[in-house]
Amino acid sequence: MIELYKVSKTVPSGTEKLTILHSLDLVIPDGQFVSVVGPSGSGKSTLLGLIAGLDAPTGGEILLDGEDITKMSEDALAELRSAKIGFVFQSFHLIPSLTALENILVPMEIAGRRDAMERARQLLKDIDLVARAHHYPSQLSGGEKQRIAIARAFANGPSIMLADEPTGNLDSTNGRHVFELMVEMNKRGGTTLVLVTHDHELAEQASRRIALRDGRVVNDSDHEKREPVQTEETIGVAAS
Amino acid sequence: MRFILNMARREIRSSWRRLLFFFLCIGIGVGSIIALRSTIQNASHTVAGEARSLLTADVQVDSTRPWNPESLAAIERIARPPLVEAKTETIDAATMVRPADSSGEGATMVELKGIEPLFPLYGEFKLADGKSFDPALLDNGGAVVAPLLLERLQLRTGDHIKIGESTFQIRGVIDREPGSGGGFRLGPRVFIARTAVEATGLVGFGSRARRRVLLKVQEGALETVVQNLRAELKGQLVTVNSYKDAQENLSEQFARTENYLALTGLIVLVLGGIGVSSVTRVFIEQKRESIAVLKCIGGTGKQILAAYLAQVIALGLAGSLLGVALARCALIIAGHYFAQSLPPNMSYGLAPGAIVQGVGLGLLISILFSALPLLRVRHIKPNMLLRDEDESGGLKRRRPDLLRWLTGALVVLGLLLLSSWQAGSLRVGLFFLGGLAATASALYLAALLLVRLVRRIRHIRSFALRQAVSSLYRPGNQTHTIVMAVGLGAFVVMAIHSLQTNLLKEIDLARRTNLPNMFLIDIQPDQKQGVEKLIEAATGVRPELIPTVRARIFAINGREIDLEGREMRQERGRLGREYVVTYRPRLEANETIVAGKFWDAQSSNEPEVSIEEGMRGLAGLDVGSDITFDILGRKMTARVTSVRRVDWRNSRTGFMVLFRPGSLENAPQMLVAPINGPEGEPQRSRFQRELLDQYPNISVIDVAEVVSTVGRILNNVTLAVSFLGGFVLLCGVLILVGSIAMTKFQRIYEVAVLKTLGAKRKVLLVILFVEYGLLGMVAGLIGVLASLALSYAVTRFVFEIPWTFSPLVSFAGILLTVLLVTTVGVVSSWNVLTRKPLAILRA
Repeated sequence: MIELYKVSKTVPSGTEKLTILHSLDLVIPDGQFVSVVGPSGSGKSTLLGLIAGLDAPTGGEILLDGEDITKMSEDALAELRSAKIGFVFQSFHLIPSLTALENILVPMEIAGRRDAMERARQLLKDIDLVARAHHYPSQLSGGEKQRIAIARAFANGPSIMLADEPTGNLDSTNGRHVFELMVEMNKRGGTTLVLVTHDHELAEQASRRIALRDGRVVNDSDHEKREPVQTEETIGVAAS
Repeated sequence: MRFILNMARREIRSSWRRLLFFFLCIGIGVGSIIALRSTIQNASHTVAGEARSLLTADVQVDSTRPWNPESLAAIERIARPPLVEAKTETIDAATMVRPADSSGEGATMVELKGIEPLFPLYGEFKLADGKSFDPALLDNGGAVVAPLLLERLQLRTGDHIKIGESTFQIRGVIDREPGSGGGFRLGPRVFIARTAVEATGLVGFGSRARRRVLLKVQEGALETVVQNLRAELKGQLVTVNSYKDAQENLSEQFARTENYLALTGLIVLVLGGIGVSSVTRVFIEQKRESIAVLKCIGGTGKQILAAYLAQVIALGLAGSLLGVALARCALIIAGHYFAQSLPPNMSYGLAPGAIVQGVGLGLLISILFSALPLLRVRHIKPNMLLRDEDESGGLKRRRPDLLRWLTGALVVLGLLLLSSWQAGSLRVGLFFLGGLAATASALYLAALLLVRLVRRIRHIRSFALRQAVSSLYRPGNQTHTIVMAVGLGAFVVMAIHSLQTNLLKEIDLARRTNLPNMFLIDIQPDQKQGVEKLIEAATGVRPELIPTVRARIFAINGREIDLEGREMRQERGRLGREYVVTYRPRLEANETIVAGKFWDAQSSNEPEVSIEEGMRGLAGLDVGSDITFDILGRKMTARVTSVRRVDWRNSRTGFMVLFRPGSLENAPQMLVAPINGPEGEPQRSRFQRELLDQYPNISVIDVAEVVSTVGRILNNVTLAVSFLGGFVLLCGVLILVGSIAMTKFQRIYEVAVLKTLGAKRKVLLVILFVEYGLLGMVAGLIGVLASLALSYAVTRFVFEIPWTFSPLVSFAGILLTVLLVTTVGVVSSWNVLTRKPLAILRA
């Protein structure tokens, strides 16, 4: 379960401070597929980065499976990511000096899994790229790169999958393919999936839809389930 | 662990080409250290292993004056069977040889050795005809001579030569003589029978001759014999040496030479280290994204750091192993081309100890120099993957990074230990590192200044110039590295060059000025007028003949000198030696009094001396001290009334001890004539011949010949050091090429954009020329300035000779550096200019 309580993020911008997230509360139960939409600069990617422990919030608490990650050291966070979190980026971020197979292998090697090679080959089969095993990222197409990135993200069987506009750099055919692959692998593993996207069509397929604007939640399809007071209070505090 | 090793292995697969140049530098540095150390260790083993044949005996008793009966009796008592198995005597002296045939031309100084049939007790004595030396050759006026004598006097085997008043027949030519260490000699070697030496009538060299008793000692009795001899001969002004002592001395000398030369190798290695440091920095910079990804998928900072450290270690090891291969090649080449200047029978294999040291150094330097840049790995935030801008810069700087400082301190300490280890002394290591650090900082500051300066002038009209200047401070620029690497290279090469010219100039001074270029020694007082006349006839100048007396210091302030005593042993060279002293009423122009008061012109019966400043403090010597001299057995105590400084460079003669006239006139003395001999080789030779025909006891030291010998030795040394300097420069060039290769990816993109925007190739070329020209100028300028500082310091304070500055050479040095850097820079960037832009922009 992912729990965010009064999470805010401010960054210095020139002489002034820029608030990216305003005291945000959010609870995502296990296995839920959540899409996050909103215009550029609304705080979508920052939210995702905070959940993955890639960045520290300015205030508030973030709990993953009941554990507060805001108090963790860099190395402890790295270990947490290795065990629980998969991440897919818009611009793939494969390691250019490693082959497709090796890119999938790396997270399992970091985790010290003995069956790393076996599983990496299986994952390659799952994403239908066995023929590309020994190609370097520069020799792969965009769609292929993203599929490798997805296999890499799922390698350690994470309980949480975070995807930051995974189809943003792909044409619609490839985008659809990648999206379907992700949803399928998500279902198979019973993983919590948080998907940041611009594509409303994709967003609609999620079981819960959250809209952000200027660092605030302006719409949550699960809204009814939550206590309205809390939401109003949140907005109230942020506005004051 | 598996992740670390796998990651390192995979990364090397793609990165080794980019890192190649730097690890080549490590290879060259390691190679030069291993090659140098191996050569010298091999030479040392060979020479020390032959210490017995160098001494030609197990034990040698050595005296610089005729044996007194007591000493001989003492030696006789100890040197008996069974402890001592064989005994033989020799006598050595520099003297003159001339052809006996009156039509023969010239005369020359030789190193005469009188031997007995048992000589040598050890060692090989071979003649040019391939036979072994036979003592019978020397019977009845026979002589065996070095080939050089035949060449100088145009003689052949069978011809006769005159030494003093005796005639000898040349019966053999030396091929290999025992006991020749290849050291400095005044003239070619001539062997005659020891008993024949007396007959030459050369009493003149009496006290300059060195007499030796050589002993062959029973196995295991060496220590006993040496101890007994030392005890018995105490106070006799003779020295007792065993081949073991000689071995130790030789090994020590070799070890010292080895360490100093190894430091030059270390410079190459440190240069390589600077390269490694810069490449690691740029490398990590280029790997930011990969590192962030690794962190994002769960890699900890420590794991990633370890993976990159493993790469550095692997490449450092590869570079070091390359160095071993290079050293092997160098030794094979040395065996082919330089065998005659190295000891015979020397092995040209690599010394295992040197290999271990070299590889260890290569690894340590790689690790030390990459440590700081590797630490940057820790600061790369995985969050950069989500946002493009670099926010790492501003936030970090506020907090001082303790680990970074700690690592920095460890690196400095490590380098200090390494250089001290290599130099074999903490002091030298400290100086070495200090000098290197000073030069490197000067270069670094110069580069910093350059960057600051060019930032100011960015509003230049010319587009090409502006581009060139801005590329000096673009992110990830290699300005500092290039300036430091090339500057250090220029520094070493120029410093060696400057030192060499100054030394050669100093030696050549003897030829250029009116300092004497010929010394006539051993002139008897009754020959004075005749010799004066002869010199005047030959040179047109009436010479000044200086009386000399040989004296030893027997006691200082009443305390007898005990050469075996602990405190005296260190000063043995200065206290035990025989001083040539003179007397005169006045100071020479090149002398000044630094303490006490110089005597009046009148003679005095009270013995009074003036000592040279170098003697001051020796066993407490100063104005007011009493020195008891032993002058051929007679004791005379004189008071020190003044201390002089002698400008040795401007001296016709120089005397450590000068007596007031009045006390030495009746002592046995000989005259010395410092003169300017006739010009031209045949004239000089003819003059010596004429002189010797009339006065066979006189010896002539021809400075011109000595200078050419010293010049030859110096040339060999310069060659060796220049060779190393060349390596340093080569390393600088490699780093330059490597640095350019490192920034190529950036440059290619830039050039592609400029081309798209319409820049012509000419403009792009101008940009390259200006950029590298500026870099070369700064590197050359600072390198040359630093080299001048070093050569000034060494010339003035180590060699104590005047220093001359040749602006033309310095200018040429700077110009060459600029040319080198520009050429290498433009050539290495050439393919950047010729690539088609579209492919690059698409990628």
